[in-house]
Amino acid sequence: MEILLQLVVSGIALGMIYAVIAFGYQLTFATSGTLNFGQGEALMLGALVGLSLVGTIHGGPYLGYWLMIPVVVVFGALQGIFVEWIAVRPAIRIKSEFGWIMSTIALAIIFKNVAENIWGKDVLPFPSPLSSEPFTVLGANVQPMQVAVIIGALAIMFAVEIFNRKSIYGKAVVATANDRDAAGLMGINTGMVITFSYALSSATAAFAGALIAPLTLTSATMGASLGLKAFAVAIIGGLTSGMGAIVGGIILGIAETATGFYLSTGYKEVPGLVLLLLVLAVKPSGLFGKAAIKKV
Amino acid sequence: MNFKVKALVAGVVLGWSMSGMAAEPIRIGVSGPFTGGSAPMGVSMRDGVRLAVGEINAKGGVLGRKIELVERDDEAKNERGVQVAQELINKEHVVATVGYINTGVALASQRFYQQAKIPVMNNVATGSIVTKQFANQPENYIFRNSANDTIQSAMIVEEAIGRRGFKKPAILADSTNYGQLGREDLEKVLDKKGVKPVAVEKYNIGDVDMTAQLLRAKQAGADVVLTYGIGPELAQIANGMQKLGWKVPIVGSWTLAMANFIDNAGKNGDGTRMPQTFIQNPDTPKRKAFIDAYVKAYNPPGGRMPSAVSAAQGYDSVYLLAAAIQQAGSTEGPKIAAALEDLKAPVEGVVATYNKPYSHTDHEAINFENTKFGEVRDGRVVQAK
Repeated sequence: MEILLQLVVSGIALGMIYAVIAFGYQLTFATSGTLNFGQGEALMLGALVGLSLVGTIHGGPYLGYWLMIPVVVVFGALQGIFVEWIAVRPAIRIKSEFGWIMSTIALAIIFKNVAENIWGKDVLPFPSPLSSEPFTVLGANVQPMQVAVIIGALAIMFAVEIFNRKSIYGKAVVATANDRDAAGLMGINTGMVITFSYALSSATAAFAGALIAPLTLTSATMGASLGLKAFAVAIIGGLTSGMGAIVGGIILGIAETATGFYLSTGYKEVPGLVLLLLVLAVKPSGLFGKAAIKKV
Repeated sequence: MNFKVKALVAGVVLGWSMSGMAAEPIRIGVSGPFTGGSAPMGVSMRDGVRLAVGEINAKGGVLGRKIELVERDDEAKNERGVQVAQELINKEHVVATVGYINTGVALASQRFYQQAKIPVMNNVATGSIVTKQFANQPENYIFRNSANDTIQSAMIVEEAIGRRGFKKPAILADSTNYGQLGREDLEKVLDKKGVKPVAVEKYNIGDVDMTAQLLRAKQAGADVVLTYGIGPELAQIANGMQKLGWKVPIVGSWTLAMANFIDNAGKNGDGTRMPQTFIQNPDTPKRKAFIDAYVKAYNPPGGRMPSAVSAAQGYDSVYLLAAAIQQAGSTEGPKIAAALEDLKAPVEGVVATYNKPYSHTDHEAINFENTKFGEVRDGRVVQAK
């Protein structure tokens, strides 16, 4: 029983990381129907910029861990605006169906190369703001930082949801998500809203990067596999549901740790991907997604 | 111009061109990963090689010729290693190559040297079969001066089971050639001792969560963890054990001495033990001179060599090769190989003084005598007591 609990706890901590990145995919998909395939790289950049601020690699530390987070979030937002401006806007303008896929992937590779040149190709340790000594909950060992990741991930998703539902700007986002053309006719600057959603999406990813770095170690290549798994989570949970991202993330996280333990660590990645195939076959809009009817 | 003057001019020109030929450098290839997870080993090896070449050249070189290095980054990738091998042999015309950190890269690339009859001096790669790949051929051009996995696995098991008396070992190895060949060696040695590992787990390069593997080992009641992998993931193992609040000793292959394990594991890595051929400890004048020269030339952070073993073995590999070229009086591959197999004078290195290190059937310079145990303590590798 303790073992199962330990697996669940570790799975949830892992899954919440996937969930935050998947949430970032959803934000831009809602407003523009496009995704930033460099979401993992946005996370990586957030973590590395955070490391430069709190670590000693670039002459620091300049800031404490908690003060660094807002800076990283602002950096993430700017990075998101840049991605939208370079890679997505041209594709939307010419109504290209797939142009943004290649251009966001291209940008992701460029970001990775730039990061390799600035921070090197090696794996770097990230100083942990909390004690790394685990405490015991019902026989399962939990690190304070894992709890911080879970709380932080939920908090940022909650904050974005509140913003979208309550504020006037958020309503513009929701309106654009519902019907971009109608929103445009109502006087909403939909181009601006799409840019904003990219800023928000990369900012959440950068935030997640700074949050998980003390647990996972930082490197220029840390984003690639996380970004891919989060994409699977977004598909499993549904690209239109914030709840879906959380549930999908937790399912994938627990599936990975549980398979690793009960079956074999060699097959750790398989059940998540099998689940992905199942969802695509049975309910293509995801577990929590609304089926979109494309009228032609 | 009369004939005499013509003859004089011709003589002078000939003399010039001869002296030009005599000064032609001896080109030696260096192949290793200078970027990525294996980079601390590759870069240290290269730096050790450069130090040795600098010293030899300062004393006038070998056979009156300077040594020139042709360095290539194989990125720890098999296919890249093959390209590098072909380039060094066919385009750069090296007389020998030193290097190879990664067993997989060595195995993929060596065949080209074997075919071209050019000696390879493996100075870091440890896979047991590296020097035996062409052992059935009349001439084997693959030599080594690192502690191979047969030696390492035997030492790891002796340390964990024999000396410290643990009964239930768990093996954690990565899924690369290096990890899996090492795991086989470990299982073989354990089997000879009549011990069966309680858990044998595998993980991939880049894994960030070792919970499942460690829980299986913990559940099976392991009292010691034996590892075969490289720095960053080994650090994830040490850190993962702390996440689970499970503390048993780690004993593993020499890679536990890598800076990227020690730094990323922090205090979780303390007490970890691994076989080492060289520890950054100036216990002889020769070693002190080597360490001082290394620190002065490359100024590593905190004065700590990122991988002291690789640097020392890289350094020694050049001296072994230079001694063989000197003895052979030639830069032809078969003659160098024959000289290596029958080195007359002892070669003084920093790992050991090599007294007839190789024979026709034995291409391993390192044995149990010149391998010792290192232990991680406060961010450094020290000799285990």
